[in-house]
Parts: sequence; C-alpha cells; structure tokens
Amino acid sequence: MFFFFFVPVVFSVSMGTFSVPEVDYYVFSIMAVQSWSEVLRSAKKTALISDGKRKVHYLFTDGSEMAEEYDMRTDELILRQLRSKTKLGGAGQWQVEVGERNPSAVPSTDTEIKESSSNPLFIRKDTKASFQWRVRNIPYPVDTYSVSVEPAERCCIIRTTNKKYYKKFSIPDLDRCQLPLESTALSFSHANNTLIISYKKPKEILTLEQELMRELKKLKGTNEGDVDCKTQ
Amino acid sequence: MAAQMAATKVPEVRDITRIERIGAHSHIRGLGLDDALEPRQVSQGMVGQLASRRAAGLILEMIKDGHIAGRAVLIAGQPGTGKTAIAMGIAQSLGSDTPFTALAGSEIFSLEMSKTEALSQAFRKAIGVRIKEETEIIEGEVVEIQIDRPATGTGAKVGKLTLKTTDMETIYDLGSKMIESLSKEKVQAGDVITIDKATGKISKLGRSFTRARDYDAMGAQTQFVQCPEGELQKRKEVVHTVSLHEIDVINSRTQGFLALFSGDTGEIKSEVREQINAKVSEWREEGKAEIIPGVLFIDEVHMLDIECFSFLNRALESDLSPVLIMATNRGITRIRGTNYQSPHGIPIDLLDRLLIIATSPYTEKETRQILKIRCEEEDVELSDEAHTVLTRIGQETSLRYAIQLISTAGLVCRKRRGTEVQVEDIKRVYSLFLDESRSSQYMKEYQDSFLFNEAQSLQMDTS
Repeated sequence: MFFFFFVPVVFSVSMGTFSVPEVDYYVFSIMAVQSWSEVLRSAKKTALISDGKRKVHYLFTDGSEMAEEYDMRTDELILRQLRSKTKLGGAGQWQVEVGERNPSAVPSTDTEIKESSSNPLFIRKDTKASFQWRVRNIPYPVDTYSVSVEPAERCCIIRTTNKKYYKKFSIPDLDRCQLPLESTALSFSHANNTLIISYKKPKEILTLEQELMRELKKLKGTNEGDVDCKTQ
Repeated sequence: MAAQMAATKVPEVRDITRIERIGAHSHIRGLGLDDALEPRQVSQGMVGQLASRRAAGLILEMIKDGHIAGRAVLIAGQPGTGKTAIAMGIAQSLGSDTPFTALAGSEIFSLEMSKTEALSQAFRKAIGVRIKEETEIIEGEVVEIQIDRPATGTGAKVGKLTLKTTDMETIYDLGSKMIESLSKEKVQAGDVITIDKATGKISKLGRSFTRARDYDAMGAQTQFVQCPEGELQKRKEVVHTVSLHEIDVINSRTQGFLALFSGDTGEIKSEVREQINAKVSEWREEGKAEIIPGVLFIDEVHMLDIECFSFLNRALESDLSPVLIMATNRGITRIRGTNYQSPHGIPIDLLDRLLIIATSPYTEKETRQILKIRCEEEDVELSDEAHTVLTRIGQETSLRYAIQLISTAGLVCRKRRGTEVQVEDIKRVYSLFLDESRSSQYMKEYQDSFLFNEAQSLQMDTS
C-alpha cells in the first residue's frame, strides 16, 4: 500500500503564494513556459516521516502526482514515482523514475506475459553527485558494452556487441530543466554482474536539489508511528 | 531445432468460438437489401415486409453517414409482424463499430435510479467516441518457444518465449492463455510478431528474412519482413472506440480508498457530464477524437410514461444525440401517467418528431418462408405436409405460436425416433399446448370453476 493513502489527514502545506498561469503542461515532458522549480513550488505538497524516510507527495495543478522518498540521514533520493491522469480521465499507473518499488510478496499470476527474472534489470539509483543507473543480472565482460549520449534524441543508449542487451533511456531531470546532455559527464563500470552508469549532475541540478531539500525540511511532517486516520 | 519440436508437440487447440443460444431473432443477419436499397423477398433471415425494410434501409444509410443526430423512428405494427426483427436487422448491418444499445421500455423503472437518469445513460451508451490512445507493445522475432507441461498432466502450463531484435534479446514468462493463443496463431521460431501488452493480443507480421532459405516450411502467401530494430518494447498509438457512458463512469468514480466508503448509487452528476461533453467537443475540434452517433432502440415504448416522453423530446434536441428507434404494438391507447388517449400511447408532440414505419401482417407464403427459416435455425426437419399444417396454424393463430411448435414437435419426433417431423407430431403438440384463442375459449367455458371467479368484473389494468 502506498503511503499517501494517509495523506488527507496529514498536515498539508500549500506554497502557492504567486499566481500560476493557466498553461497546460506535463510533468513528463519538457516544460516550455514554467520552470521546473516553479512547478514544484506551486504543487501542493504533503510530507510524512516513517521508517527513517521522508516521504513527500506532490499534487500538481494539472492533477498529476509525484511521490518521493528521501533517506533521513543522508538526504539521498531513494524513490520517485509519477502518475498522471489517463486521457479518458481515470487514474493512471505509477511510473517509477528512481529506485525500485518493493516487489509484492506473492508474484501476480494473472499477468499473461512478463519479462523473466533471468533478464537484465534496469533501475535508476541516484547518488548526491550523480545520476546513476544499474543494470543488474548482466554477466558479459566490460568490453561488450558501449554507452553513448544522443543529444539530438535527448537520450542515452546502452549497446552490447553480442546483441544481447539494448536500452534507450532519457534523463527526465535534465529534460525538465531543459539542460543539454554532455557526453563527457557519462561514465560506466562493470562488476558483480552489474553494469553501473553514472552521469555527473550539472551545477544547476545540484543547486535546485539543495534548494528543494531546504524547502522539504521546512514542511511540517508528522513523526514516526501510526497516523490516526479520521476517515477510517 | 528444439523450438520447432516444442511447437509441434503442442496439441491442436480447439477453436474457442462463442456458443450462441438460439434466440427468437438469432436468424436475422441483416435487413436483406441490395446495393440500391431494394429489399429482396427472402434474404439474411428477413421475409416480406418490403416497404418497411426499404424504409429501415434509408434510416440505416442516414445512421451510417453519421451527420444527422437526434432523429427518431417509430416502428409500429401488430404483434408478431417483425418489428424487433427489423431493429435487429439494423443492428446487424451496422456492424460492431457503431454502438447499438437495446432496451425494453420497462427496464428504466428502478428503485435505485431515476427514470431520466436511466434514459440518459442509455442515450450516452449509444454514442461512441473514437480516440487514439498509447499502448505498450512488444515487437520482435521469435527465437524460441518453450512450453512445459506439468508431469501429472493437470495444472497450469508454463512457458517461455524468447524474442529478439537486431540489438537485443529478452526472455518472457508466459501465462496459460498466452500459450494457448500462441499455438492458435501457430507462432514458431523465425516469425516476427507483435504482442499488445495490455490485452495480450498477438499478431503475426510475417517471417524474418534470415529464415528465407527454409523453403519447405511455408506456403506461397508467407510474407518476409525485416527483424525489428532497437528495443523490444515500444509505445504505439492505437485507435479504439469507447462510449460516452464509459467515459462518464471513469470520471465519476470516487478516487482512491474513499470509494470504499461512499455509497455509489450509479447516478452520474450532471456536472461530470457537462465537463465530459466539453472535453469531447474540444478533442473533436483538435482532431483527436471522432464522434460516432449510434442507435438507441427502445422496445415496447408504450411502457414509458409522460415524464420520459417529455425528457425524450428534449434529449433529441441535443447535438450529442443518437438515432432513436422505438417499437410498439399498441394502437390508440392511454399515455402512461395521464388520462389522455393518444395513438401508440405516445404524446402527439413526440409523435410529430418521429418517422413512422408500419409493419403489416404476413401473407401465407411469407409465413411459410419464415417457418422454414426457423426450422433451419432450430435444426428441425419438417415434412411438406407438416409444413403446410404449421403454416395454417401460423395464419389462424399467431406466427409466434407456430414457431413455438417447431422445437416441441421436433422433440416429439425425436422421441419416436423419427427423422422428419410429420403431421402427427404437429397434431400431438397442437393438442398438448393451447394457443391464446383456445386458451381464452377454455377460460370462458370453465370460468366458474376457477378460483376467485367472484371478482371477474374487475378488469386488470395493463396500460
């Protein structure tokens, strides 16, 4: 169960002090009019602390949502997932952007086709200084891989010489701030069946993240323990 | 060629077609018109009623054009003259892409929902919106299919499917339904396929060029395609049709866990509807969606009351309104909910907006023809004499009664191990089951010996 089911009773702070222009924008794509920091500021934010994690829920003005989890000690981002309304108006699926959701104890059997667990697993797991992606369960030697930046398509591509693995991924953080992709910032290594790809965060991202962290710490979150839910 | 071995080991899966039961109108497959909209005497299950079928054909053209909204048609005629059959014929000729909603006039009376709400829901079910949506598909060349059946012979099968593009390769775990449809599509190694991730629909694009030298395994119609490039999973736009009512339901549902506590009455707020109408017309202007006005068919329309009729008047004026087809077998009768008499039990102001199609009783030849069609539909062999007798019965009592006798006579015939229904079989069931007029005759004779006969002066109020 997601933590924001408790959100309605948690103290909620709206930081919308300035007027938001009536512009259609999507969190998933590049924003032309509003900058990402403004979007974050105008979002309705709710925080709570549990399991040594600061959990924040953002509700954007277009109805889409973002949920983040930060480690309390290191302030590292552990999980970020986004959800927007489907075209017909229903609630969409949560898309994990950073980290991994806890796999449910019982694997669902009703899905008719899913990737086998023996395949490589691609997840993003950031550090303070860089964006980082891990491809687990990939046993080929390090000279098999090549990772390149495609500035025209705004994405990075992992290729393998034995044609076993291929992955195209974008960096949504850079897209949101409309920053260019630099091939010099990219590096990768392979150890313990895992391919680790790092992209050094540019200065703009670092300042934005520090600013956001300061704001989040100001949010009055509830403490650990059960939250009494008035509607239940 | 382990993969091909595995593929051939799979037993032939029975084609799972929907088994349809034989209903009163299951023999109708269309209106039976030619290209010039001239009705054929006997076609697509329809017999006779040439003028009304021709009229229905014109209405059908109007619906297919899709430009005209909010027209209403009334099919009026005596019982058993093919009113519902004509409506079913229209539905069949429209095809699956145009929404067709059928309801009986009495269906809208419910304690849970107001009459007008039930009617608006029916109206909105009959309007389709064709819209593009993104969906996730898997596209690749099959490297290997491996299906393991449990050693005990029972239980679910498990399977693995290896797919590749020119750049990568992935193994997928399969569920039993997916295994079934893979073997139904006869997918084997070397085929290029796409799988819709949400619905599980498999489509074969052709065989990979790299397999072009295996001449022996394929027919002349085999298409060769390139192995796809890049990632296996892609996002693709697909077009599908939803009804306005479905969009209403998606948007009116209380979000999240609060839905557990709100007692949903099934009624949809008018604000939600207005929002959706605005949204849909916005999509339409932007070219993102297309509106398909469908057909709402209300059978036994005299069951509606005066409030419903006045609601219909207004609803037909909206530009988001389907073509309304109504059917009734009443003559001049009381409008439900009032003391006024009106033709067909429908107020004059609504009648004024209707195109009225009249059906007339069938001739002897037509009755004969219909009975023949029904015999085929119900799989009963009828001898010529029996057919003549049954036609007489159909003419003198009612067509429905004669149709009822077909399958009962067929059963009697089977019990005496006959292959063809004879006159005796018809006589037998004719004596066993009373038709309406013989039953009333019997009533008149033995009225005094029935229970509660002292209350006979009170007539039942049916209107």
